[in-house]
Amino acid sequence: MRRALKFAPTLTLPRWAGEGIGVAVLAAYALLYASPYGLRVLTVAGVYALAAIGFQIVFGLGGALSLAHGAFFGVGAYATGILGSQLGWTFAATFPLSILAPFLLALLVGLPVLRLESHYFALATLGIAQVVLLLAVNSPGLTGGANGLPGVPGVLLFGWAVPRGLPLAAVVWGFVAAGGALAWSLARGRWGRALTLVRDDPLAAGTLGLDVGRLRLGAFALSAVYAGAAGALSVHTQRVVSPEVLEFPVMVSVLAIAVVGGRGRVAGAVLGAVLLVHLPEWFRFLERSYLIVYGAALLATIVLAPEGLTGLLDRLFPPRKRVLPVAKAPPAVAIEGGPVLLVEGLRKSFGGVRAVDEVSLTLEAGTITGLIGPNGSGKTTVINLISGLERPDAGRILVAGRDLAGKRPDRIARAGIARTFQAVSLPEGATVLEAVAAARLERDRGVAAAEAHALWALERLGAADLALRPCADLPAALRRRVELARALARQPAVLLLDEPAAGLTDAEKAELAGHLRAIAAAGTALLVVEHDMGFLLPLAGHVLCLDQGRTLYDGPPAGVRSDAAVVAAYLGEDAP
Amino acid sequence: MGARRDHQTATDPPVTTLQLLINGLALGAAYALVALGFVLVLNATSAVNFAQGDLVMAGGLLAVALAPLIPLPGIALLPVVLVAMAALGLVLALAAYLPLRRSPPVAVFISTIAVGIILQNGASVLFGPEPRAAPPLLSGGTVDLGGLVVAEQSLAIIAVAGLLIAGQQWLFARTQLGRRLRATAQDPEMARACGVPVTAMILVTFALGTAYAGAAGLLLANRYFVTPTAGGDLILKAYIAVTIGGWGSVPGAVVGALLIALFEVGVSSVLSYPVALGLLYAALLVILLARPQGLFGEAARRRA
Repeated sequence: MRRALKFAPTLTLPRWAGEGIGVAVLAAYALLYASPYGLRVLTVAGVYALAAIGFQIVFGLGGALSLAHGAFFGVGAYATGILGSQLGWTFAATFPLSILAPFLLALLVGLPVLRLESHYFALATLGIAQVVLLLAVNSPGLTGGANGLPGVPGVLLFGWAVPRGLPLAAVVWGFVAAGGALAWSLARGRWGRALTLVRDDPLAAGTLGLDVGRLRLGAFALSAVYAGAAGALSVHTQRVVSPEVLEFPVMVSVLAIAVVGGRGRVAGAVLGAVLLVHLPEWFRFLERSYLIVYGAALLATIVLAPEGLTGLLDRLFPPRKRVLPVAKAPPAVAIEGGPVLLVEGLRKSFGGVRAVDEVSLTLEAGTITGLIGPNGSGKTTVINLISGLERPDAGRILVAGRDLAGKRPDRIARAGIARTFQAVSLPEGATVLEAVAAARLERDRGVAAAEAHALWALERLGAADLALRPCADLPAALRRRVELARALARQPAVLLLDEPAAGLTDAEKAELAGHLRAIAAAGTALLVVEHDMGFLLPLAGHVLCLDQGRTLYDGPPAGVRSDAAVVAAYLGEDAP
Repeated sequence: MGARRDHQTATDPPVTTLQLLINGLALGAAYALVALGFVLVLNATSAVNFAQGDLVMAGGLLAVALAPLIPLPGIALLPVVLVAMAALGLVLALAAYLPLRRSPPVAVFISTIAVGIILQNGASVLFGPEPRAAPPLLSGGTVDLGGLVVAEQSLAIIAVAGLLIAGQQWLFARTQLGRRLRATAQDPEMARACGVPVTAMILVTFALGTAYAGAAGLLLANRYFVTPTAGGDLILKAYIAVTIGGWGSVPGAVVGALLIALFEVGVSSVLSYPVALGLLYAALLVILLARPQGLFGEAARRRA
């Protein structure tokens, strides 16, 4: 991305003004104003900021409401507590282990539970948290049971025993700064972009070559690392560890901080933590039931300002318009001539209904094949089977001699197959450029390159002027165009299009036909599902007609209209 | 977190398997009310009401608070608890569901977590953290069933919960209101097109689900006590019941709740309550892995 410095006529604050002012105020408060008690509260705020930054990764970016985050915090806390107070180990040994323990736990439990739908995932992770709490309370030999373990040593950094007060606050906030910087760069980079797409549209993410399971597991495990680090630091601050660190209030606080501060944002986590940890100080009369205030703040935020405080600040001080990158053609992918996709004997049943029955087809490089048939004849299922969204019951899908039948969508996508969907789905919160660049995340080295290549794909379809518009604002025809650009950006050897002309005007159809011809001329093999014969027949070099999952016709487009079986299928008569 | 079972003491006579079974059925009947309320709201709104466990706790503490004012057996408190909790259900729907019905499902999940936090901590301000007991439904004595001595409370819980569940079945199957409620649960868009006041039906569903949670609180709060933090375990159990029974299945939720309670009572009697709870959660994870469609097979709903 280019950083063009322009002198605007109005006063614009530099990019980092908000964050800079925040850091300066916080530092000034800590150095000049805060009492020892105030510093202690500030230290706790740092601990929660670190935990919430981790939560932003799994919940904000990844979209998975993990209620095990408090448990990871507690596991980190107990690791430090047990090793420090019972074995007398120092920070240099306990801290890495306090990160490692929740990390390993997250990998272990994440593999099964991350496959679950959102509410299942949330409640399954809550179950995990309850099991960990039960274990801690009921293993007094190891954890001290309900009373916990006293006598945890303080932080020992390179031989320096960090005293309480300003030094400890500085150390904790140092970890916040380091952890925040790491999370921020990850969120802005390829990984964060990919994770956001997995959150918004896991189906599309898979077909764009992104390994959804691995991205989610990575986010979950990384969030556990942050939680463990925060838990360890909290025990060094308290000098005791008790089941309190595993109880629901920790989880609730982290959730409230992330939502109130602003989902998915590091600045939101820090702002939310500083604010919410100090709130009980202002509501002293509630004593230990300060969580009522958290509950109310959480409810008010989610109802009134779902973007959180940082979202509100963004609305007050809108970020400057970004500058378009320079379009760049991605490195050419050699597509060999001849058959690029061979499908043999494909079969799929849904509960006794044969949706696809012994379908075979061959796609040659640089050709357009039409796939027609009445509604429910199995056309979309064929595309879903080839792109890996459904597993075939039988049959082979050969790309460059390799059988991809039953492989994951991302593996199939990486083998050179791209697709579009009948119901276009683009991430609502993203700009067109970001949406198309998602197709390049798996290939390119960075976001900048991905966006340059995305702009190239948009230019090829005459849609570069849409680049900075939000996807949510686009009319249906342009959404189809953007989705096609996204598939094209993958430079596929095989492109599967599911009713690309649906809802387009005649002029738009003619333009689309031109684009499809150009794509084929560059070597890509196209398989086009379409109802509009006037659009498809002049375009296709070869046509397949399906009826009730079986191939009814397989030949040149000219013969379709005169084929008795096809006519009968379309007119609803009994197939011969 | 959560209420602890009142453990068998050495002076009690030995408990037979049949007595355990009746205790388990009583506990299961109360859990069934919780799960039923949860699944009714789930079907009507596709929203997970995370506050359901805390609503049970609120109903229990409401009964505790009412007991000195109404010096009658606990059964007399039931109508008051049902009405007051139904009103709370309306407030819940108005504050935490209706403003978010167009938002992603996770928003309602979070808003009901927030309501749960407010209830839990409000309760601990009002009642303190110690466990409280509500009055027994009848006298609190025992009944001799042909040589088998059974706690009267257990039988009363089974009877009351059974009547409430039967009442819900009758309401949904036989009345015009029930038909509208079912239409709303099946397909809100279609129901609206057919002239069903969908928003009103959702409010009724929330009121009903919350009233049943409150009733469960009254039923549970005598033998098992109630603490402000009891909701966490209860929502998990309701959720496990619904998962076992098949997500969205009403009879499945009731059967699931009974199975959970029998498991809990059985394992607690041999080992201990924490072990039973731990095994229950472990079993949940195994079920989610092996049969995400529930034990009785409902449409599987996984992430793609």
